[in-house]
Amino acid sequence: MFNLNFLAKDEVEAIHQATLRILSEVGIVLTYPPALEMLVDAGARVQGNRVLLPAELVEACLAKCPGKISVRGRGGKVKTLGDGSLNFHNLGGARDIFDYGTAEHRFAKLQDVRDAARLLDALPNCNTITPFFTPQDVPGGLMSLAMYRHAIPNTTKPLQGPGVQFAPEARYAFKMAEVLGDARELLTLSVSPVSPLTIPDHEAEAIMEIARLGITFGSLPCPTMGTTAPFSISGAIAQQNAEVLASVVLVQSVNPGLPVIYCGRLAMMEPRTGISVWGGLELGLASAGTVQIGHRYGLPVNVYGFSTNAHTLDVQNGFERALNAIIPGLAGADELSGIGEMEAGVSGSFAQMVIDNEFAANILRARKGFGASEDALAVEVIARVMDGSRNFLGQKHTSRYLKDGEILLTKLAERGTWETWNDMGRLGMAERAQVEAERILREHQVPALEPAQEKELDVIMEAAKKELVKE
Amino acid sequence: MSAELFKKMAQSIIDGDSDVSVELANQAVAANIDPIQAITEGFVVGVNTVGEAFANGDAFLPELVMAGEAMKAAVTALEPEMAKRGTQRKMLGKVVLATVEGDIHEIGKSLVGTMLSASGFQVFDMGVDVATTKIIAKVKEVDADIVAMSALLTTTMVKQKEVIDVLDKEGLRRKVKVMVGGAPVTRDWVQRIEADGYSEDAIGAVNVAKQLMGI
Repeated sequence: MFNLNFLAKDEVEAIHQATLRILSEVGIVLTYPPALEMLVDAGARVQGNRVLLPAELVEACLAKCPGKISVRGRGGKVKTLGDGSLNFHNLGGARDIFDYGTAEHRFAKLQDVRDAARLLDALPNCNTITPFFTPQDVPGGLMSLAMYRHAIPNTTKPLQGPGVQFAPEARYAFKMAEVLGDARELLTLSVSPVSPLTIPDHEAEAIMEIARLGITFGSLPCPTMGTTAPFSISGAIAQQNAEVLASVVLVQSVNPGLPVIYCGRLAMMEPRTGISVWGGLELGLASAGTVQIGHRYGLPVNVYGFSTNAHTLDVQNGFERALNAIIPGLAGADELSGIGEMEAGVSGSFAQMVIDNEFAANILRARKGFGASEDALAVEVIARVMDGSRNFLGQKHTSRYLKDGEILLTKLAERGTWETWNDMGRLGMAERAQVEAERILREHQVPALEPAQEKELDVIMEAAKKELVKE
Repeated sequence: MSAELFKKMAQSIIDGDSDVSVELANQAVAANIDPIQAITEGFVVGVNTVGEAFANGDAFLPELVMAGEAMKAAVTALEPEMAKRGTQRKMLGKVVLATVEGDIHEIGKSLVGTMLSASGFQVFDMGVDVATTKIIAKVKEVDADIVAMSALLTTTMVKQKEVIDVLDKEGLRRKVKVMVGGAPVTRDWVQRIEADGYSEDAIGAVNVAKQLMGI
């Protein structure tokens, strides 16, 4: 397999060494007493509100992480990250929904969470799903759990849990996964440390609870170059790495061997407005660098991915997300995030999900590359054709390569003549995607949960509401 | 001679160089130049230049922050001399600034604070995760003209409304102008909570504050 490397081996090592210095000399802001107690026992040093993590501790914890993680869907399908395959999943936690059909842009609701999961369930290149929207018709304290609760019935694919901030959220998500089977197989959860280098008490508690429960953990820092991280890409990768490794130290100290996904979400500040840049090419470069450093530790890496700053499905959107996905894709990412993303992660749309499904197929195709075996070089075939029909249409070689996917067949990208395009109503790719999204939402059915399971989930949500929503 | 010095002062702000701006402030004191004049004819000219360049897309946020820091350092260096002379810089207004309760996001709020103080407002920056009661107490304590509140999360944005409601209840609402900001804040939200102003960025916030003060 072809691997696109922006960093030479010694540069990856330099980033690793810089990270160890950040962790051991600068430290991370962490004041949660049970975490401090545990880390000090393991050799860490406390200095003011920071914890300094010695290199040996960090290396020892990294060595405990397994190289692969698996998530099982309630339909039985298992996805493994870290086996060399490239997988895709969607953006999680978008605030707004953009309806390409009506151009309406509004706060997302619970029904959008359900619809998004059901649509993604039908898209073959979306391998795992994470709840897409943060529904604004649910109280803040219950939002993450409601996202998970209402995604569950709408897919049988592996369902990764939402980002959480508090330990009780992890506990209730675990209980919900248990309704479906072995929660440790069915659930992953992620927590975002605050950049730069801060793990607030409630997050430290959540991270430790996830580890205690044995849930596959994604450390999900979201540093922004220029505001919450250095404005140099490698410096920002080093800081992000320190944030990931600090939480790896936490989880491996609680539960050695816990499966961990290395997640990178490095974005850039737009220097004129301070808005987060997700569409710039640098995001793709940073993601590729993140893949290299994550693989330095033998961990499965999840990065963006399909990402844009565009507010509609236009040319900017298409070229930004295609570049930002293909670069880390070719760099060897285990999972690319962002299906359906728009507007730097603020919004998403159903038409976008359908388009990204096709982009994903292209990236898989690029990653497959092409070989130069004797069979592929086809000298015999050329000779035969030159002596015969003088064209390759009727050759078995042609049909064999067609079946094996030498050429990716498109569904949305049209390749007809002007006349056929004109006769089809001159629709652009985005319009065709919208039609397809509407068709899927109309027709696609997901096997329902047992009524008893639905009831159990409701009971868990009711208990969560009592604990988490303050009137 | 002072014309030359004022020019250098403006340039030190444009360059965002705190070391130079402080050095020039000290020179002005040594040369017996009125500190108020040094500020208004020297340093403030630099702030305005950077602000205009930013508005035109020729300067960027890091330059804005560095200019603001250089300005703050220069004014701090001039303060003892102002106290000695019994003069005071004429401030444009008093602003109580905070990120609301439950929200620890600081950058946008601090940037607004930097630009407001660089532009001549007296800013009381209360930091992040500030309870409504504390904001109200500060408004009373300093007799604020403006309350400026930031929120990055949709879940904490509601606290902006809470502060407005309490101001109303305590009979302060007509006396104090309210500015809000933060990523989730939209024009609709501002109208819904009946705030007086909002801006998409820190330079815009200065203009809004000036408008609210009738400047």
